[in-house]
Amino acid sequence: MAASLWSGRVKPPALWDPVVRLTHWVIAIVVLLNAVLTEGGSTLHVAAGWTGMAMLALRLVWGLVGPGAARFSTFPPAPVQAMRHLAGLVRGRVPEYPSHNPAGAIMAYALWGLLALVTASGLYMTGGATPMQVAADQAAVDSGDWSALVQADDSRADDDGGWKDAAKEVHEVAANVILILVLLHVAGVAVESRALRRNLVAPMLLGSAARGERNRRRAE
Amino acid sequence: MGPILRPKGRRETAALSVFVALQSLAAVFFVGDVFSDLAADADSLHIWFEGVVTLALVLGVLFGIVSLRRTITLIEEQDRALDVARGALADVVERQFTAWGLTPAETDVGLLALKGLDVAEIAALRGAAQGTVRAQLTRIYAKAGVSGRAQFAAYFVEDLMGEGLPLRAA
Repeated sequence: MAASLWSGRVKPPALWDPVVRLTHWVIAIVVLLNAVLTEGGSTLHVAAGWTGMAMLALRLVWGLVGPGAARFSTFPPAPVQAMRHLAGLVRGRVPEYPSHNPAGAIMAYALWGLLALVTASGLYMTGGATPMQVAADQAAVDSGDWSALVQADDSRADDDGGWKDAAKEVHEVAANVILILVLLHVAGVAVESRALRRNLVAPMLLGSAARGERNRRRAE
Repeated sequence: MGPILRPKGRRETAALSVFVALQSLAAVFFVGDVFSDLAADADSLHIWFEGVVTLALVLGVLFGIVSLRRTITLIEEQDRALDVARGALADVVERQFTAWGLTPAETDVGLLALKGLDVAEIAALRGAAQGTVRAQLTRIYAKAGVSGRAQFAAYFVEDLMGEGLPLRAA
């Protein structure tokens, strides 16, 4: 009885707030772009990485001060509850939550953590060069002036060559894990949408505000 | 039920969010630039100037984020208030129907009539004959002491316009 009352009242938003949607899709584009299309170390790759870093920073700040559903406190990382949720899903029990379900919450935190790791290792690999500097260096090399490259190598070659290899390894492994988690994330959304008989992608796009409004009027 | 933002509110918050996102992007790039300038030993005046500008930008972003949150919260609260008002009207209608002594079937038909459905639509929805619905509506109007559909609807609109609703049969 309590469960049905709970599920009747608390639902994730019919439309996520614009900051959540914007950061979600920009990060999704950045991940796909950098995994599939751009060449590692290219200006575009670095610029996309910085864009992703900015969106991640905005999303994390929004998780502290944003409205209810976007806030970390609404979907705390709870591994035990996440397992319980997945077990319930297998048995066909699909409770509603005010934000992400516990399994989805773990996924969100895992993706954010890995994005931070990829960003940090990428920054280390480029020596923290901004995309503007990478572009300038690239232009210098293209014009036949290799001094920029030599200078960049000199400063780091002797003392932290080993660390740089490690950073490269971390960068690549974490990026691949992100891609695997993205597939799991998409699969999870599909399964939950089916179980809840509700399109979970729409609230992350433009919502179904018009339809929701009509249904609500009819239900009254 | 998740809050459904009104179209105008949605456009405003969406525009503000895009603005905040662009600002965040700019802020991260400038912060990065300040740090790489520090590492490269740029002259102190340049760094000071750049640092202050960047700090202003970061503060601006934070301010934008907070005001965006406030706007979204305000719209959600208004939507909730609207829901409550709708629920309150439904409450008033239900109480009045009880006071008039409408049967459950008549209550359903009366609600559908209030929502503006015509006899054919109500009959189709309830799986009843149109004649039955017409007879039910006649009984409802008689119990409510109104002359017809227009007066029946007006009875509740009147309440929204600021006059109290006397519970005659209570």
